[in-house]
Amino acid sequence: MSEFITSDNLRQLAAEWIAQGIRVAGPQRAGGRVLYLPLNDAANLLLDGFIHPANSAKEFLLPKTETLYGYRVEGHDIKLVEEAEAETPQILLAVRPCDVAAFPFLDHIFNWDYADEPYNQRRRNTAIVALSCSTHDANCFCTSVGLGPASERGADVLLVPLTGDTLEVRCVTEKGRSLFAGKTKSDNVAAMSAAGPAPRFAAEAVRKFSAANFEHPLWAEHALACVGCGACAHTCPTCHCFDIVDEHSARVRNWDSCQFSLFTLHAIGHNPRPDQGSRQRQRILHKFSIYPDKFGEILCTGCGNCTRNCPAGLGVLPLLIAIEHEEHLPA
Amino acid sequence: MKNIYQPELMDVASVQRHTADVKSVKVRFRDADCAQQFQFRVGQFGIFSAFGYGESVFNICSSSTWNDGLEFCFRKTGRVTEALWEIEEGDTIGFRGPYGNGYPVEAWKGKNLIFLGGGIAMPPIRCAIWYALENRADYGDITIVYGARTVADLVYVNELDEWAKRERVRVIRCVDPGGETPDWTGEIGFVPTVFERAQIAAADSVALVIGPPIMIKNTMPVLDRMGLPRASVYTSLENRMKCGVGKCGRCNCGPVYVCKEGPVFTMEELAALPQDY
Amino acid sequence: MSEVFEPRIVAFVCNWCTYLGADLAGTTRLEYPANVRIVRLPCSGRIDFNLLIKAFEIGADAILVSGCHPGDCHYNTGNYHARRRWMVFRPLLEVLGFDMRRLHFTWISAAESRKFQQTVKQVVEETRQLGPYQYPTLPTASSGPGREPQKNHFDPETARQRARALLEAKEVDVVIGYGSSGPVFVRRPEDVDRITCEDTRLNLATYLGRKEVRAMGRVAILTKPMDAGALVVLERESQIESGAVKTIPIGEPGTGTFADLDALLALPPDERMAWWAGEFSRCTRCYACRQVCPMCYCERCVADKNRPVVIDTSPTPVGNFAWHVTRAFHLAGRCVGCGACNHACPVGIDLRLLNMAVHRAVDQNFGFNVGADPKTESPIGSWAPADHEEFIR
Repeated sequence: MSEFITSDNLRQLAAEWIAQGIRVAGPQRAGGRVLYLPLNDAANLLLDGFIHPANSAKEFLLPKTETLYGYRVEGHDIKLVEEAEAETPQILLAVRPCDVAAFPFLDHIFNWDYADEPYNQRRRNTAIVALSCSTHDANCFCTSVGLGPASERGADVLLVPLTGDTLEVRCVTEKGRSLFAGKTKSDNVAAMSAAGPAPRFAAEAVRKFSAANFEHPLWAEHALACVGCGACAHTCPTCHCFDIVDEHSARVRNWDSCQFSLFTLHAIGHNPRPDQGSRQRQRILHKFSIYPDKFGEILCTGCGNCTRNCPAGLGVLPLLIAIEHEEHLPA
Repeated sequence: MKNIYQPELMDVASVQRHTADVKSVKVRFRDADCAQQFQFRVGQFGIFSAFGYGESVFNICSSSTWNDGLEFCFRKTGRVTEALWEIEEGDTIGFRGPYGNGYPVEAWKGKNLIFLGGGIAMPPIRCAIWYALENRADYGDITIVYGARTVADLVYVNELDEWAKRERVRVIRCVDPGGETPDWTGEIGFVPTVFERAQIAAADSVALVIGPPIMIKNTMPVLDRMGLPRASVYTSLENRMKCGVGKCGRCNCGPVYVCKEGPVFTMEELAALPQDY
Repeated sequence: MSEVFEPRIVAFVCNWCTYLGADLAGTTRLEYPANVRIVRLPCSGRIDFNLLIKAFEIGADAILVSGCHPGDCHYNTGNYHARRRWMVFRPLLEVLGFDMRRLHFTWISAAESRKFQQTVKQVVEETRQLGPYQYPTLPTASSGPGREPQKNHFDPETARQRARALLEAKEVDVVIGYGSSGPVFVRRPEDVDRITCEDTRLNLATYLGRKEVRAMGRVAILTKPMDAGALVVLERESQIESGAVKTIPIGEPGTGTFADLDALLALPPDERMAWWAGEFSRCTRCYACRQVCPMCYCERCVADKNRPVVIDTSPTPVGNFAWHVTRAFHLAGRCVGCGACNHACPVGIDLRLLNMAVHRAVDQNFGFNVGADPKTESPIGSWAPADHEEFIR
């Protein structure tokens, strides 16, 4: 027996959540794109017609800007102003499995020896309803990193679309069950998940090459087209690198990117990664070599956002394929 | 639960100016419980706040047995250090830490200690020297070779004098050729050259070498020639840092986070890391 | 008794005329309201547009900008530069939905103490009637689905032939063209088939500043109709030598229209700003817009400057307005309309509209054609006696 809900009833449920003051976020149209945004009107929620939103859902757990604490200067003295705790419950709705699978990575990093309370607060107050994929595009490679269109990793609930307007509701956790209790109908039909893309590269080959070839012309050749923006890192579900600055009497944490030239710049002017080649190398190494060596997992979910959003069509996939075949890009 | 990014408020107890662009600052915890409970291992670092400007990473250069607060030393270089340059006794700054792995002072017990440093690298060496002197019986002969570009660039000079008076401590001071003053009585030459001239015995020794990359690069062959194994030569790495706790993703040198698994490494460990620093 | 609203006015004034006029008002006991905070600069030409934005950021309810009368500038021509700057900056602020009733410009001389007194009194009273300024406005709940980026199709064959000819004749060392996904750097004639013109989002002139590309030698780039103007601007600004870069044009020029900009201007200002606030609420400061722009060639951008911080780095409403105002204004008389920034933005902010705003201001006011003769002066760096405006009292 499986549980089902129609898309109309799902939107109705979302409207109820919104009316209860829960912050709901999900895929919607904006800026000519599909983006994960706060949902004000459940009618705007998209459940199909897109491969992957142009952004990632991480911004609801790790906001693009966050005040860590404030301070007031009073003569020689400083008074710290603590931030109010993030109590608002939130539900991330219709999030692709490749976004959701990233959340356990973030949980791990933000609790590695030191517990990041701002993150943990938000995490505790969040429920995640994933939406399985019916299809994929040339940029998707979740199956090459051990995931798939029906992955339940990190989810409280996984919705699997059927034909017509019905979705199967697979509750993974207690939190998920309590969200959908009494809202679904049972049936004997089981949803068939999409197959997902054929594997595009062997992750182990990439790890071995990267670990052994710190100085290799491939990095610079590949990075020639890279313009050094943060579109890849900012739209990546697993990228979590951040900056800490003082602005407007507060200490603030903002998204950063290892592709920015200032990322590793020392005050004295020395930069260990002075060009785009070394910066691109860092991105690949961090995800496919360093993180696996340290924590046993690849820090990438194969969502394809980096390649889709890269103004120069890069992202990690072209380089991973090139590495596996140890191809130099033609001169 | 405590926000790990929130610093402790520190009262500035005193500021000492060493050179035209180097100052050291002693600070005390405002919170009495913190002051009482605070401990650190020599070689660890802290992240110090100039509120309104930002945070900067400095080694905690006081000996870990001095309990009256913390000391750090900095060169005026950028936005935050320019702001710190203006602080006076009675001002408030922030501190969070201690972070990092610190020096393996237990493993160093029974050894002769060789300290080699250049310029602004004295503070992270100074704390180790004081620690050794405060636990004198645990350590053998102490040799300190410290140099700077010019006489005016030497820091903690009064302490160099004091160390030289201590038992089985040899202090060699040097300045780069052209950096001497007419009344300079120390050595003239780069630290690696002066160190080699000094013909220090390598038996049962560990060395702590901190300085600009060029100095380290030229010191390693000298230590090799002396017969000191690379696993016995230590250094403290620097990299741009923000969080200090292994989350912001920027200080890694290959697979190693300088803030968590460093900043203290042996030369053997460093040789196994990629040139990412 | 209810509290009377006391507006906060920031006055940016030049040292030699307006400041002395204000000083004279003081010494001759001409009373004027204490609501005004005077910021003294050497010259009105030194009044950076960022300062105006900063004033609104920190809570100014109105701003007064004042300097020497034209012809009387202590530095000869500083106020002419200022006048030209404001002629372009104001239309940008209008498009963004700033309340232009809160922005005042005057010429006040060192003798015109009474004019200073009266101007300040008037500005204070007008602002009192308007009430406090909420800047920036809160975003509209939904800024709508937005525009999908246009994908143009180009036939690669002519370009390939030209590229092959140039490489075979050794007239260039590298041809930068469009491939199936992003740019291709073709160095051998036999590789020209990599030029497929499928992904043509970028303006390839952006690669001309890269040291790795310079190291390759002489360059040819494929150019879509609007792209080539970038080379004119780069030459005008002494970034490339005349004739140093060969172009391989693809596609036919189209006609642009300002219809979308006019539709935006038809909204009331506060709705306009709320719409932009909605657009900017998606901005994460990835700087894709900056990195793809051939005109953004500074090795260190003013947005990355931290001594002092001019533009907040945080992607907050305040920070994002400051960034986008700066980016757009730094393109005045320089943007060639290639659309690379619009294509590059991952979250689909309609940056065209800002670029169009300054483009039209420069075109209408100075008749300047950005892509014409590289020897014509850049409009922002220059001024003309004929510059005419009606907003400086």
